[in-house]
This record gives sequence, structure tokens and C-alpha cells, in this order.
Amino acid sequence: MAMLETKQLSFTYPDQKQPALDNVSLSVEPGEFVILCGQSGSGKSTLLRLIKREIAPHGKKEGDLFYKGQPLEKTPPLKVSKKIGFVFQDPENQIVMDQVFDELIFGMQNIGMETDEMRKRIAEITHFFGIHHLLKKETHVLSGGQMQMINLASILLMEPEILLLDEPTAHLDPIAAKDFLHIVGRMNREFGMTVIMVEHRLEDVLSFADRLIVLEEGRILKDGPVRQVINQLSDEKNHTFSYLPAPVQLYFHYSTNKQVEEIPLTIREGKKWVQQLNVRLREIPKKSVSRKQTIYSLENVDFRYEKRGDNILKACHLSVQEGEWLAIVGANGTGKSTLLKVMAGILRPQRGWVKVNGKMLRGTIPEIGYVPQNPKLLFSSDTIYEELSNQIPINNRDKGRKKLTELITFFNLESLLNRHPYDISGGEMQKVAIASVLLSSPKILLLDEPTRGLDPTAKRELGTLLKKLQEQNMTIVTITHDIEYAASFADRCAMMFQGAITVQSPTEEFFKGNHFYTTMINRMTRGSNVPEVITVEEAKEKWDLEEE
Amino acid sequence: MDYGFRNYHPLTNFIYYIFTFLLIMLSQHPFFLFFTAIFMIFLNYLLDRGRQLRRWGKFVITLIFLFIIITPLINHRGSIILFYVLDKPITFEAILQGVINALTLFSVVALFFTFSFVINGEKLLFLFSKYFPNWALLTMLSVRFVPLFKRRLEEIRRVQQTKGDAHERSIKRRLKHGLLLIQILLTWSLEDGIQTADSMAARGYGLRKRSRYIRYKIEKKDMVLIILMSYFTGISIWGWFLGDNILTIFPILEPYFLQGREWFFFTNFIFLIGLPLLIEGKDAFKWLCWKRNN
Repeated sequence: MAMLETKQLSFTYPDQKQPALDNVSLSVEPGEFVILCGQSGSGKSTLLRLIKREIAPHGKKEGDLFYKGQPLEKTPPLKVSKKIGFVFQDPENQIVMDQVFDELIFGMQNIGMETDEMRKRIAEITHFFGIHHLLKKETHVLSGGQMQMINLASILLMEPEILLLDEPTAHLDPIAAKDFLHIVGRMNREFGMTVIMVEHRLEDVLSFADRLIVLEEGRILKDGPVRQVINQLSDEKNHTFSYLPAPVQLYFHYSTNKQVEEIPLTIREGKKWVQQLNVRLREIPKKSVSRKQTIYSLENVDFRYEKRGDNILKACHLSVQEGEWLAIVGANGTGKSTLLKVMAGILRPQRGWVKVNGKMLRGTIPEIGYVPQNPKLLFSSDTIYEELSNQIPINNRDKGRKKLTELITFFNLESLLNRHPYDISGGEMQKVAIASVLLSSPKILLLDEPTRGLDPTAKRELGTLLKKLQEQNMTIVTITHDIEYAASFADRCAMMFQGAITVQSPTEEFFKGNHFYTTMINRMTRGSNVPEVITVEEAKEKWDLEEE
Repeated sequence: MDYGFRNYHPLTNFIYYIFTFLLIMLSQHPFFLFFTAIFMIFLNYLLDRGRQLRRWGKFVITLIFLFIIITPLINHRGSIILFYVLDKPITFEAILQGVINALTLFSVVALFFTFSFVINGEKLLFLFSKYFPNWALLTMLSVRFVPLFKRRLEEIRRVQQTKGDAHERSIKRRLKHGLLLIQILLTWSLEDGIQTADSMAARGYGLRKRSRYIRYKIEKKDMVLIILMSYFTGISIWGWFLGDNILTIFPILEPYFLQGREWFFFTNFIFLIGLPLLIEGKDAFKWLCWKRNN
């Protein structure tokens, strides 16, 4: 009997013509690990929420949902809330309690469990997760990765049979994301838990999954075993191709003898495949690097938030050249966001100085545009048009209006102008935020995690738009967790560690020098018989395949 | 801190505080109160090395002197006249009354300091969650959300600074800016609050009566202590009833040194007040013995 079944499930949100889900029929067997992917707005989250009855959206629903052969509506509420667990995207917002321990027992208390039973389960789960050291902590001091672990643990304590996860790693750094996915993978393999996960970053999760479902505009586009679906996606050279992890893209581009079983899902498989290749390095004329002027320089910057607190930035040095795109990478909690705020003039360092164009930076100036990690912080109006026109500088109205029309076309925002800034997708929100900052004509753009939670298509679009801005001599500094993104777009990368920049070098050199913090393609090609590259694009540029 | 007096059940601790507070208020005798004050200072030093007491030291000492000085200025009853201020008699009895009031005040303040070390927020919630479960949950939620909103407001303020409105000097503009920040905070927090509510619903909140996680168990030592405390308190109340715990000042001053039966009630009183000190001392001694044997 199927664990979960939907039969011709359709769903339409109120006041919408287009259904969010259109005739979705699928059945999930016990112990299966299913990944749902698709562009934002393709109905993945809607489907996931419909399965979890307590948080199902309001709207017109047709078709049926079955849990173990029984209609979901008729299953007792207590059973449903215990047996179907749900982990949300944002790690912080789903935490209810102040103390980690209270957060863990929250769900068990809700279903009226006895103290002894709770103690027993907590003991087991802390052991399994290795979170003893967190039990007595306050929830807000945890890192995003730790928070998400606590959220997962809190759900697992209710002993669910089905685990639903809605982009659980979108807000985590790559290392924390891997740890999280490993735990989910273990739950599936060692305990046979059924897992349905919505995820954009496929590279780390494909090796755990049994089945991949691609949704498009509320319909199931592809559904089947992971490798087969991947193989089908490769046939059509359309936008779904960008969903595939880089090693898979490389495989489809270079493999002469494509076989479904051979598609590399892990680095190990990738390395094995690469050995069969016979590649010659193409002669490429070296790009002449013109020495540009330094626009930003930070010297010996120290910063701490509290008088007796630890220094978040410690003797931090950094210089940024005019017109370049610099990506700052590093794990959570190394002070990246603080550094960007210091660069924006929002925080004043206790020691050291920041110079922009040779002048000391004191407070915020119009030459620097800053987009925070959460673009919602910038928005204060009811429509996007209002939001943008409020940002036109008072001293130059006419020029400002002209600039506004330009930006609306540039970022392709025409259809969104009358919507509330909160009502749009993450990618669109990011574009609106950048547009609103650009209205005051800055020369430098500081972006804090611009790709967080974006789907691959939106990411690529944002990247190309920013590249275009860079061609107009904009200097861009981004903080990012997304190594693949930094590798494909940035000119230079800097690594942040313990409050200081440890390495800064041109992107290619940077990643080729790293062992762990580097792209999948680099890990795959390092030390193999093919020339080392970091992205698919670089491979396409440099590799010449020799036929045997 | 899982040793000494704090290692007892919160209810045991709480009963101690109720009894002690009651007896301090009843025993209006300088001899009783003087020793109470000294015991309280000791207890403060044992529990947090007297940091809290020292922080509030100036304030407390000022208050004590105010009491001692002001009481005789207002109260002119009594037969032992020491001297005159502005033609009003200053009596020995009134000064003594001032001292009693000051000692009572000091003892109660010092007692409350130790209360906050022994019964922290978590224990307090535990004590009341049984009778007010909804209030307890609400308190726990606000414990999380108030600091969260504060952090968010700070973040919004910093980010909005970059938009250039922040440097306005006029009060009207600043007020408007402040309202804007609050508005952003509310919109943002409402939106995020929906997610929190979803997360609560997803974990079965509101389906049935929430159970209570019982962190502390009443053990034998708690029972022993509660019985002991009740015994001491009972005897002390009897002493108060007989008038032995009180120094009669008006109309005729009673001898202020203890006499006969009063010593019995004093010993009994001091045992109750000093229980935490005894327990801390016992645990420290046990540790020493254990260390020597290892």
C-alpha cells in the first residue's frame, strides 16, 4: 500500500485564474526518498503544504489525498500531526521557544505526552544528533545550521512516518547544508522514513534520493528514478537543464557514450568518469589584466558589538579595485555580514579605517548602495512602484524619473509594479531591492547573500544582470555561500576566517588553491588526467576532446 | 549551579522564601533582625559572592540611614528624650524603631536578591505553569519575542540609515522616521509570525491539552526540609503570639536583650533563617570529605 497518494489533485488560490496545481497524481511508497524540484511558482510548496493538513493553504481544492489508503481528511487530527512532520525553509521563524530544550519538547507537549516518555525520546535524539552541548542554550544564539537541526529533531521526536521538507537548506552555508542533508539521508536509510523534499540545490542530495519529480506550472513534468529523470532532462536543451548539478552538466556535454547508469551523482563517480576522457588543453590567449584603481581599502579594521564582547572583525584588511566583482566567501559566523556593514558605513569600526576613493568613510554615503540579506528591511511602501519612486533623490527629480523607467526595463519589473513588495518571489524581491538602491546612482554595490533561496533560473538571471551592471563600470561586492555562483560570476574571491580576510585572489586561482572550499567540478578534476577547471564554462572554453 | 540550596525542588525553595519573609515581618525585634541581616549578607556572599548586594550597596545604605534619621524626626513618642531638634524631642525609642524598620527593609531586600539566584525564571515558570498553563506559555513566548523584536528594530534602523533619511534633525521628521521603522517591523514580523504559527500548528499545537514537562521531582530531602521549615515557622508564630519575637517599645520600652523563654524562640527563628546556610555548608563539607578520601 502506498504511504501517500494523490489522485488528480488540483488546487487554485483564491482570486487566481491559473491553478497552482493541475491534475497531479502521484504515489509515494514507504521508505522512498523523493525530491521535488521546479521553478519558483511551479507549485512544489503548495503540494507539500496540501499534504500537511494543518498548514494547507486556503483555496479551491479538487481531487483526493490518501494517507496509507485512507482519505487524508478522515484521518484523526492527532494521528496526522504526529505521523506527518514538516520542516520549513526559514530556520529562525519556525522556532517557538527561547530555550533549545523547550523547543525540542514543544511538539511532544502539544500531543500530551508524559514526562518520562519525553525524557526517553530526548535522550535518544540528542545522542543520535549529537546535540548535547546545545540543550541548555538559548535558541537565538545558534547558527542557522544548528537551528535547522533543532527543528528537524523537534519534528522527529514526534516519530513521524513521512518527513516533508520545504527547501530546508536554502538559508544554510554549504557545510551546514551537507550536514543537514546527511542526517535526513540517514533517517531515510537507517530507519526507512519516507522523505519528500523540495530542493533547488540538487548536487548534494541526489545521491540520497530514489526519485526525482520535476514540476512545471502546477503539472508533473517528469517523474521517475533519479538517473532516468536526469537523462530525460538532458535531452531537452531548455531551462530545466540548469537544475542539474555541474558534474552532470559536464557529463552531458562531454560524454561520448552516454549511459543512464553512468551519470555521475557524486564526486567519486565523476572522477571515475573523467578518467576515461582524453582532453587536451586549448591554447587561449591570456587576457591582459589592466591594473585598475583601488576604490575601497580597509586597513586593520576591528569591530565588536559589545564593550566586552569578542571582536567580530580582527585586523581586517581588504582592497577592492574599481569595476571588479569581488565575492567574499566563508562559513557562517565568520563576520562576513559585519564586514559588509562596515564597508557600507552602517557600522563604524572601533579601530582601523575604511577609505573610499581615497577619502575616509564616515557614515553612509550615496556612492555606496547596500542591499541587506533580507531585502524586506528596505521596503516600506504598499506597492513596488511607490517603493521605487520614493527612492528618487529629491534634488534631481527629472533625472531620477528617467532612471526609474530605465531600471524598470532593465530588471524587467513592469508586471510587478502594482504588487506588494512582500508578495513576490525571492528572485523578484532581490531585483526590486537592487533597483531601489540603484536609484541613488551608487558607484559601488554591496550585496549580502543575493542568491539565498533563489532557484537556479533566477540565480542565473540575477548573475547576468549584475554582470551587465558591472560592464557599466559598477563595482560589486557580494557575500555568498554559493561557491558555484562565486566561481561562475566573480572576478576575485576573498575568504573570510575568524574576522579577517585570509586569502584574496582571482577566482580561478582562488578555487584551484582550495581543497575543501571549492566547486564540485574542481574537486572532480583535481589530480586527474584532465586539466583542472572550476566551472563548466571554463571547461567548455579550455577543453579540447580528443577522439580515440 | 546544581548544589546546595539550589539543588532542592523549586517548591521547597519557594516555601522557604514565604516562611522567611513572613517571619521577618513578624519578628520586629532588633536582636532577631540584626542576625537575620547578617545571615542574609552571608547567604548573598555564598550564592553570588555578594556582587548584586555590592551593586545596590549605595542605594541600600542610603535607605537605611534615611529610615534611622527620618523616623525619630516624625515620631516623637517615648520617654527617654535624648535631645531636641527645632523644639521637638528626639527619643531613644523612636531611634530604635527606625533601626528596626531599617533592618527589616535591608533583610527583605537582601532576601529578594537571593530569591532571584535560587529561583530563576525557569523554576518560577515551572511553579506557576501548573496553575496558569496559558500564562506560562505566553510568558515563554514573550521571553523569545521581545528581544527578537528589539534585534530586528536595530537591524531595520541600520539598514534604513543607508537610505539617507536618518540624518534629519527636526523632531517631526525624526518622529516620522521612527514610525516608519515601527511599520516595517510590524509588517515584517507579522509575515514571519505566520510562519511561526504554521510551525506551531504543524507540531499539533491546540489539538488537545498540552502536557507539562516535569523537570523536578520532590525527593525525600525536600519532604524533610519542608517538615522542618513548617515546624520552625509554627513555633515562631507561637512565639510571636506570646509576644516573645517582638520588642515592645511603646508605651514602655522592654529590655532589649533576650531573656529566658525568648532565647528558645530566637534559636528556633535563627534555625529557619539559617537553613540555606546550613545546607550550603553541609554540601561544602561533604565535598571536602570526598576530596580527602580520593
